[in-house]
Order: sequence, then structure tokens, then C-alpha cells
Amino acid sequence: MKNVFLLITMFFCGFINAQETFDVNGTHNKNHNYYAFTNATVFVDYQTKIENATLLIKDGKVEAVGTKINIPKNVVRYNLDGKFIYPSFIDLYSDYGMPEVKKSKTPHYGPQFENKNKQAINWNQAIKPEVEAGKLFTVNDKKADELRKLGFGTVLTHHHDGLMRGTSTFVTLGNEKANLVMLQDNVASHLSFNKGTSTQDYPGSLMGMIALLRQTYYDVDWLFNNTKIDEYNISLNTIVDNWKLPQIFEANDKLNIMRADKIGDEFETQYIFKGKGDEYQRISEIKATEGKLIVPLNFPKAYDVEDPYDALKVNYSIVKHWELAPFNLGIIAENEIDFAITASDLKDKKVFLKNLAKAIKSGLSEESALKALTYNPANFINQYDKVGSLEKGKLANFIIASDNLFAKKTKIYENWIQGKQYVVEDYNVIDAVGNYSLNIAGKTYDLKVKGEPKKLSGNINIINGKDTNKVKVDVKVERQLVSLSFNPSDDYQKGTIRLSGTISSNGGIWDGNGQLPSGEWVKWSAIKGKDDEKKEDKTDEKTDSLIIPKIQYPNMAYGYFDSIPKAETIIIQGSTVWTNEAEGVLQNTDVLLQNGKITAIGKNLSAEGARIIDGKGKHLSAGIIDEHSHIAISRGVNECTQAVTAEVSIADVVNSDDINIYRQLAGGVTASQLLHGSCNPIGGQSALIKLRWGAAPEQMKINDSTSFIKFALGENVKQSNWGEFNTQRFPQTRMGVEQVYYDAFIRAQEYQKKWNAFAALPEKMRASSLAPRIDLEMETLNEILNKQRFISCHSYQQGEINMLMHVGDSMGFTVNTFTHILEGYKVADKMKEHGAGGSTFSDWWAYKYEVNDAIPYNGAIMHKQGVLTAFNSDDAEMGRRLNQEAAKAVKYGGVSEEEALKFVTLNPAKLLHLDHRMGSIKVGKDADVVLWSDNPLSIYAICEKTIIDGVVYFDLDKDADQQKANSKEKARIIEKMIVAKKGGAKTQPAKSKKQKLYHCDTVGE
Amino acid sequence: MKNIFLILFVGLFISVNGQTETPAPKQTKKIILLNGIAHLGNGKVIKNSAISIIDGKFDIIADAAVIKIDFKQFDTVIDVRGKHIYPGIIAPNSTLGLTEIDAVRATRDYSEVGQFKPHVRSVIAYNTESKVTTTIRSNGILMGQITPRSGVISGTSSIVQFDAWNWEDAVVKEDDGLHLNWTSMYNRWGGEKNKNYEKSVAQLNGFFADALAYSKLEEHKEKNLRFEAMRGVFNGVKTLYIHANYIKELTEAINFSKKYNVKKTVIVGGYDSWMITDMLKENNIAVILKRVHSLPQRQEDDVYLPYKLPHMLFDAEVLFCLENAGDMEAMGTRNLPFYAGTAAAYGLDKEEALSLITLNTAKILGIDDFCGSIETGKDATLFISTGDALDMKTNDVIAAFIQGRMLNLNNFQKQLYDKYSGKYEH
Repeated sequence: MKNVFLLITMFFCGFINAQETFDVNGTHNKNHNYYAFTNATVFVDYQTKIENATLLIKDGKVEAVGTKINIPKNVVRYNLDGKFIYPSFIDLYSDYGMPEVKKSKTPHYGPQFENKNKQAINWNQAIKPEVEAGKLFTVNDKKADELRKLGFGTVLTHHHDGLMRGTSTFVTLGNEKANLVMLQDNVASHLSFNKGTSTQDYPGSLMGMIALLRQTYYDVDWLFNNTKIDEYNISLNTIVDNWKLPQIFEANDKLNIMRADKIGDEFETQYIFKGKGDEYQRISEIKATEGKLIVPLNFPKAYDVEDPYDALKVNYSIVKHWELAPFNLGIIAENEIDFAITASDLKDKKVFLKNLAKAIKSGLSEESALKALTYNPANFINQYDKVGSLEKGKLANFIIASDNLFAKKTKIYENWIQGKQYVVEDYNVIDAVGNYSLNIAGKTYDLKVKGEPKKLSGNINIINGKDTNKVKVDVKVERQLVSLSFNPSDDYQKGTIRLSGTISSNGGIWDGNGQLPSGEWVKWSAIKGKDDEKKEDKTDEKTDSLIIPKIQYPNMAYGYFDSIPKAETIIIQGSTVWTNEAEGVLQNTDVLLQNGKITAIGKNLSAEGARIIDGKGKHLSAGIIDEHSHIAISRGVNECTQAVTAEVSIADVVNSDDINIYRQLAGGVTASQLLHGSCNPIGGQSALIKLRWGAAPEQMKINDSTSFIKFALGENVKQSNWGEFNTQRFPQTRMGVEQVYYDAFIRAQEYQKKWNAFAALPEKMRASSLAPRIDLEMETLNEILNKQRFISCHSYQQGEINMLMHVGDSMGFTVNTFTHILEGYKVADKMKEHGAGGSTFSDWWAYKYEVNDAIPYNGAIMHKQGVLTAFNSDDAEMGRRLNQEAAKAVKYGGVSEEEALKFVTLNPAKLLHLDHRMGSIKVGKDADVVLWSDNPLSIYAICEKTIIDGVVYFDLDKDADQQKANSKEKARIIEKMIVAKKGGAKTQPAKSKKQKLYHCDTVGE
Repeated sequence: MKNIFLILFVGLFISVNGQTETPAPKQTKKIILLNGIAHLGNGKVIKNSAISIIDGKFDIIADAAVIKIDFKQFDTVIDVRGKHIYPGIIAPNSTLGLTEIDAVRATRDYSEVGQFKPHVRSVIAYNTESKVTTTIRSNGILMGQITPRSGVISGTSSIVQFDAWNWEDAVVKEDDGLHLNWTSMYNRWGGEKNKNYEKSVAQLNGFFADALAYSKLEEHKEKNLRFEAMRGVFNGVKTLYIHANYIKELTEAINFSKKYNVKKTVIVGGYDSWMITDMLKENNIAVILKRVHSLPQRQEDDVYLPYKLPHMLFDAEVLFCLENAGDMEAMGTRNLPFYAGTAAAYGLDKEEALSLITLNTAKILGIDDFCGSIETGKDATLFISTGDALDMKTNDVIAAFIQGRMLNLNNFQKQLYDKYSGKYEH
């Protein structure tokens, strides 16, 4: 930027480089003057403070900074005695200057399978990497002003729309032509888990979004490595072009940060994560991502909870987060994670500095705060050569503050951007506050002036015999002009006296002319006297003993305080042990758990340091395993938008923060298959978890488990009960379902052949020929054909059940499990022959047409015919009393008690290929056991202890303590909220969102 | 001596299985049940009982070891040694017979159009032919309060017994009460305050005020069917059932019923009712407690709170019973005895728990003068189970009587069971 035309604005001094390529109307206005800011405390960067320093700028850039600066003659000087200078802040997560993201309001009926935009771009409307914020950007001074007032000088802005949102542009917040404020475009690539304005159905769930991102990356890879592709795809080309840019992912939730990081790891990309402010809840996992963070400062408002009935409406986790949110940044800094602070999520931007001060009070160091607002954001996007500090050659973007920026009453006076002054509050305003001796044509009054520069008020004491009247005086000061008016109602005057005049430059003397009520002009003056003695500000709270409130794992009711319980050596003595093995039910038997395994079963067992649990009169069973569960899932259990969605996986969206995990532990459940829903013939992949309450999602997964996938048949697949607008997606009949399967598996076989043929080519030829494209859907289907992945198929009616077994037999796969399988009793012989197991409901029926023939004897008949039979829940409530459901196999059909218990323990373990580790009480198996107060099949049995891997995750006695601790904790925080409210904090009405419980047929997030 | 007249119990019922579930004719023969463990429903147990049934009513209720019986006067003597006898279970707030297959619109008859529809009567839509009901009977549930759903006033319920040719035969108490769904103060999913709450309550007040004024005149030139249907609420003929769960809604609802001088008010749902037990007792308000097998409503609630609520209300001496409304409520009615079982697991005595689905229900529905327990003079509506009926492991209903008529306990599901068991025997 040499040789630029310069221009001085009318009202502000400073430089703005004019655009060389633009014509100028009138006289050119060049200005290469220097501007010197002297006697200031200057933060050159976040860690270098120079007292009594001079900052010299010229042509919108920093020329010099320090204590011994030669100041040239052509300089405008600003004496900043006592004031502070900081580099202006940088916000990486802005939509400043972007067009509004508008969702189409026209209702659309029925599905939209394809992108509405017909350009040569990606097939999916939510994948828009080709969008360039630089091309959309326009200056918006109103919005810029909001941010300038907070101290921001530059922002990285992008269009917040879609899963892949294109690139951002880096601009200053100057009020100039866009050409002048834009520093660089295509600075970073942006992604999110939010479809934005896309009206296309796919993806309809979080797991669908994750699958779509992965598939898109595979497509990019394919495009990058192959020259012979016929398809021209601008979107994918752009991703290739922008691969090396910083990649910023709007995760917006602690679990999503982990989810996004997994995608990044798979494609060797390290994202920078935009969080939500709840990172403290999983800080070690977040640190492990090695991702940098962009963290908002939006702390929730306190709730109106004075009414205890209202307070019932605010969930425990919300209350906990309210208290902990201000500690988030301090905790992130403490854990040495690089982070930048954004103002983006604040609806009311004005609270930014207040919240920043709150974060500092809650453990964030001032240095970290400044680093997170200057150095880090600049560095994250490789712009530290331009901004982030005040070294020579960088942009003259700086803040002038009244004092240390993070001190309580500090004001930002000015925010200079590219060498141009933007006044936030005029520091030249004469401080008129004080005591004056007012003289009006010889009559004197003692005048006291109070308030803020723009909101002054005064009063005079009129002594009338014994009474003292306080008379209000209107005081107005504008620059050096002053006016007063008041009515003393005393011996002197009984009407309003109006005075106007000027203030001497040191503020000590006011004088001018005034008019008495009579209209007579008089001379007046006021001389400033001694100030009142300042009272010491006692409101500053102590910060030296910072106590961070306890974080719970998970940070909600029944979350463990401090840490998750550990595996113990345990002997459960003298209980009735339901082994599920040849030994049957053993009376008065000890079971030893060590290192997470069952190590001995017998009498009089002992082990060093063992915790003894008295099992006398109680029953011990293997942990309950739910073959069909939908708890602990984030944002959608179904990807309904296509008939085949084998590419999506529940394992990507396991939610460790579901209270139902704990509730099911309290019902003896130790492991669950989290299944995709049933709205398409080939649904998504499952997650197998142990209910390790308190752990992060990855730690809940059963690591060596076989993989599973959900298939479905019948009414849900046909969309029979979806209303009149859903009649287009193929299939709409059972006839179509068969063809979906054949089509999918035949395509999968052909896909594999293509790859095999490609792999068989000589290396040279392979390099020169077009490689097949990796298709995640086909890859998954081939896992089924290769017996690496197994099917759990939602099914009701016998005809379609037989159909799928025929498809399997002819395509070379076995249906591992028919789940629900309410007409299994009609085809038990065929299931057995095919090798399928049945995981059914104990007694559900009559909720839709296809379950009309469902009978509670189903389990008993299947079992009797030699089908491996289990009972499942598909329901968060029933999941916690599956032992009782098992008892219904005794009631309906006379299955023996021992076999019935296996319906919810060993048999589901077998169906899930986990029986080598789980499902029975056998030496060597995982220490997953449940202690019951009674026969576990009895309605009177209460689950007293649930142990997983030797860890007591649920303990009836501790549960009671935990409840008390929770209610105490909530009460403590509520008290704090009330205090905050009384202290003037803004509040919001009591409320909390109701958790949605998923079933097979739940559509949407 | 007893052996002379003994009819082998098992034989009696095998002959019944396999037939269609034709309603049983009026009792003509005199029956006596001997040696069963009788759970009377009023908290008492007779371990070795003699229970006679004459003209559809209970006659002798006694300890078989103590009482002298002249067996000649009985046509049928049934030895039920070691088996358990219970009064027929009553399902309040039920949609049985109003729905057959939930997802099939043509089979749903519980939700009429409109907000205020006290005149809408469930009983005429009650389908005695429902295949669902026969499966419910097989677990000992023999009566129900058939209740419409939706709107502010969903309509008028009636109490029926489950063995009838048509709804006229089925009625036990016609138009027993009116059902008011108290408007939620908070939105269902978002959880924020319901902006229409005050408006809705004002409308309700307007409706009640008009209905009350209307009821002061016996005859009107132009009849208002809605207001006519409301008369019973004010003169005590009909019970006002107010469906509400949240404590503020409960207190508002109770104050509302006092304001209009409603003679008999019952809370349905009542999740928070344990917090206002004094208010309930002072106002003589009973509770039909929401499904015991449900999840706690608040994150921090005791994980077992719904299981413990019966014990809590019992200790507070509130009159209450158990119901089953909610997801899949019609078919799930057969699990009602197990809710009582859970109540027993979590603190109640088993006989007290039994009352929650028998005598207490009858009291709350206003039919305890003639049913709800095994007591002389009451309808002989009972069932016999080989084991503890409150536990699914042992609930095995081998016989049931409604008003002395022995039911055919076969059902559609048993028929399919037999049919397909047969398939594999060849």
C-alpha cells in the first residue's frame, strides 16, 4: 500500500487510505501527518506493557512505540496522561456485513430430494463451500459501531448458513468503503452442524450431517486424486482449493466439539472449534482434541426463582450451568488450551465487557483475556503480521481506555481503526462534578454538582431560619459551555434564575451572564472549591480466594461430584446367584469382582482389600442388556430422508448427558444397543454402550464390539402413519421394500466388484485410470455382506420377515436379529432355519395395524422353537424395568424363571455378540452385575447396586445421599440467583426445555 | 365332607377355553368358593375363605375353617385351595373401547372436536366388541371408567363392566363425571410460560359462570346442551375430574372447584399432589394418580419418585387410586395390577396396594356402595389367580366373575397362541 491517496474526514482526524483505482470528486486530500499519543500506558502486545510511553502512527499504521520516540514536526499530539492503550480486539466469529440468513417461509409439502439450486455445485443444499464472504461483504456502520464500542477493531466474518459455509473475510470495523476495510478474503473455511436455510430433506439428523460431511470429504479426496472425472463440481473444487486454510467449525456444544474432532482426525484436519461456553464440563476431552477454541461470553441470565414452585421448572443442569458459565474461560486457560473470545453469541452486545470482567473475577487472568482478544485470534488465522499487537508496521488499531481495561470502572474512550479515530466517549469532557461557590450579582450560593458528564444534576441548600431547603439545579455542560437554572424561592428571587457561560480550561472557574425572573441581565460566576472526600469503594469483592463451584460428571442431577467412581475389588457375599450358566441358580454364594472382571464364584471367598457387600437374602444377576434402546442420543434417532441411510451412525451422536442413563442404571441396565430408528428399510449403524454414567461418549462405547446396523420393515418404512404429504418417498408398500433391499445389495456387490477390478489392475494402469469413488453407504452394506456388520431388523408381520430372510439367503447374509418381531411366533421355525434371533416386546400391541396379531406369548413360542429370544424396551421408561418384562415370559407362555431372566441378560448379549464378555455370572466375564432385594423377576425386586466393570455406578444408599446433595446444591445456587437479582442482575422467567424421548418412529431432532 | 361336592377347578376352566368370548348369562346357580386366599380389597385377607355368590352378589364372606356351611344349598362348590381371590380391578380414566388400533383413525373415538364439550358422552362410543378389552379382563381388570380425551372439557365419562353385549348392558354408572383438562401453565416442549394461560382460564371461568347461572332455572325455552350437561357438576350428580399435574395448576384447579361450589372434585394425574396433601384433605379431594410406571418429570426428582408416590400419598392419608392414562393406554391397562405391585415394592403393604386398584377406585368413582371389594351384598365381581396377582411373575388369572357371571377368559391373543402352538406340534 505505497503511494496511496489520502483523505481526511470532516469530523475525525486520522488517515484513511483512499482507493487508488477510484476516481476522486473534487480536490485530492493527501495527509501523511504523524499522530503521537503520549504519556500513556501502552500494551504493545498482550504481555508487554510500557509505562509513560508514546505511540506514533502514520498512514494508518504503527510507526513507533516506546518511551524514547523521536516525534517528527508534522505531528498531531494527544496527551494521554494516565490513560491506557491496548491493541484493538479481534473477533473470529462474526457475521458482520453479511446478508441476513433467511429461511424460506413458503411452506413446502412433501419431501425435497434434490438441491433447489441448479448450478454446477454440490448435490446437497447445505454444502456450500463455494460461498465467499468476501464477495458478499458490505460495510454496515451501525453494526460496526456496536462492536467498536466493545473494543473490537477487526473481525473475521462469514455467512452463517449451512454445514459447509465457504470462506470468511477479514475486515476492519472502519466506516469506509468495503475496499478499504477488507484486509484479506478467503481467510478461513467454515463448517457447522446446522443445515441453515437448506430446504432439502437430507440430512435430517445430526448423524446425517456427520455422514454427509464425511462423504463430502471422501468425494473431495476422489476428485483430488483423479483427473478423469466427468462431473464438474464447483463446491468440491473449492474445498480442494481451500484445504490449507484454517478450518473453523461451529460446534456449539462440548459434545459436538468431540464429534467434529473425530471427523477432522479421519481426514487429517485440525479444526478450530467455535464452542458454546460449556467446555468446562468436558475439559480434558476437549483438551485432547488439540483444537483451538473460539469461545463466546454469553452467560445465561439468572432465573426468577423466588417462587419455589417456579423454581421447580428450572432443571438442575440449567441452574448448575448458570453458576459455572463465568468460570469457563478461566478453566480453559488453566488447562492451557489456546482460545479466542467472541462476542458473536451475545444478543445484547453491551454486556460483553461486563461478562469479560465477570470471567476475570472467576479466574481468567487479565493476560489470558487480552491474549484471547488479540494475539490468539490474529494468530489462529495467520494475521498476526497485521493486527493483534502495536508493533511497527501493523495496523493502527488500538483502544484508548481510562485505566486498566479490566478494572471495574474503566471506560473505553476511543477505538482507533486503521489510524482513524472513533470516539466512544469523549475524554476531553470537563469534569464538572464538585462544589462551587456560585455568585450571582453579589448573591452567593453553595452549589454542589453530581453525576456523569452527560447526566449532571446540582443542588443548593437555602437556609430559611431553622429549615434547610434543598433546591434542585439543572446543570448542563457541553464542551466548555455551561448553563444552570434553578428557583431558589428565597428572599433573593421567587422565580427561575437562568444562567449561561463558559468554563475555564482547567474547569476551576465558570462565568457568564444570566437572566433573573424579572428579565434583568446579571453577571454571574462560580468558583470550584474543595472536592468531597472520596469514600473508599468497598464493593470490590475479594478475588484472592477463588473457589470454583463443583463440576459434576455429567454436570447435571445425579452427576458425580469431582470424579467418576473407580473399579473396586468387591465380594458380594451369600446372595442367591443367577449364573445363567449350567450351574443355574446358586444359593448362598459369594462372587468376587476384581479388576473389572468376575474372578471367583463360590463359598467363603476372600481377597485382599476387598469391599464386602452383604448379599444375604438378596439376589445377584448379570447386568441387564437392552437390545433395543434409544436413550443417550443427540439430535435425532432417525435419518428418515432416504430409504437407505447405511452411512449414518448412532455411534457419532452418543449423548452422555441423558438423565435416563442414570435412571436405567437404577433399573439394573448395564449395556444397551442404541439403535437407529425405523423409518427406512436400511437405517443407520448402532452404538453399543455400557451405561458408564459420568463418562464421555467415547468412554461409554464398548470398544471391541461387533458392528450392527438397523433395518426396518412395515408401516414406519412405508410412512403409513405420516399423513398425506409423505407419499412420495419410495417405498410406500411392502412390495417396494423388497426391491429397496435387492437394489441396495446388488449395488453393493457391483461396487465391490468395481473396487476389486481396480485393485487387480497393474499399478501403472491403476494410476492412470479412474478409481471408483468411496461411497460410505456401499461400504457399510459390504460390511454386512462380509459378515463384519450385523443386522437388527425392526419387523412385525410374517410376510415381510420371510421376505427379508429370502433376500438375505439369496444375497449371502443372515439377519442377525429381528427386533420387535411381534409375529415371530408365526415364523419361528423359519427364523431358526435362517439363523435369526428375536428381540421382542413382552406385551405391546394394538398401537398400529401391523401389530394387530401381536401376542404376549410371542417370546415363549419363539424360545420354545429354539429361536434365541430377548425382550427389549425401545422406551426410556420400560428400559428401567426390563427384569419385570422378562417376568412376563413366565406369565405368558410359562417360560421358566431362569430362562426368562436370560431374555434380558444372556440372550441379548448373544444377539449382540457380547456373550464372551457379558450376560452371565461366570469367571472371566466382565464384572457387570446387579444386586436385587428380591427375585429379579419379581415386581417386588428393587435394584440395590448396579456394577459395571467392577465400578459401582448405582448404589441405592448413595442415591439417597446424592438426592440430598443435589437438592442442597440447587438451593444454594438459587439463593445466589436471588442475590444476583437483588443486586440488579437481569433475569429471565423460570423454564426449561423438556427432554424429548426417542422411539423407533420419532422423526426429526 | 367337602370332597363330595368338589368340582375339580382345572377341569372347569379347560372346558371354557377355546370358545368365543360370549357374554355370560345372568347368574342363576348358587356358587361357593372354598379355601381360597381372599384379598378383600379393604385391606383384609381371609387366608382360607368361604365366599358365596348368589344372584350376582356376594353373600357369605367368611373363614372356611370357622363357619359351618350347608353345601346342599349350593349348585356349585369350587375348591380354590391355595389360590388367590381378588375383587375385580377397576380401571379409571380409561379409553378402553374407545380405541382399537391407535394409529388407525377410523378406530379412534376418544377425541371430539372443540374445547368445551361436557355434553359429549363416552358411553355410546364404548365398543363392547373390542378385542383389546378381552385381553385386559384376562389379567383381572373387570371394570373401567370410559373417559373421553382432548379439549378443555373433554366430555362425560361412564363406568362400565367388561362383559356385555352392548353399551347399555355394560353400564354400571352412566355419566358419572365430567373431565376438565386444566390448561398447562407452561408449554410442553419449550418449557416457557404459556402465553394463553390466563385467557384460557378466563374462558373456563366464563363457561362455568354461565353454566352455573343456567342451572338455576330448571326449564329453558332454548336448551343449551353444553349447560344442561353441566348441571350435574353443580348439583352433585356428577364428579368433576380435573386433570392436572404441576403444583400451581393443582392449586389453581382446587380453588377453581371451590369457587363454583363443585360438590365432588377429583384430581387426575396429580404428579405434584404429594406437596399439597393438606389442601387435598381439607377440601375432600381425592386423586387418581398418574401411571406408576412412568419416568420422573424433573431431572433432579428421585429416580423412583413415580414408584414412591403411592406410599407418600398413603402416609398423608389422601384418598387416591391408580390409573393408566398415557402412551398405549388401552392395551396397557392390563398392567394395572403391576402398578399396585410396584406401590407395594416401594413402601405399601400389599393389601393396601390392592385397594388402590379396587376399593379406593370404587370410592373415588362413587360406586363403592355396590362394588370395589369382596363384601356381603356387593356385586360379585372378582377374579381368581393361581399366584399373587400384583406380580407379573405370578399373576395367572384362571377365573373371573362379573356380577356373579363367570366370564369366558379366552381372548384373541390366546386363540392365536393356541393356533400357532398347534402349528409347531405337527
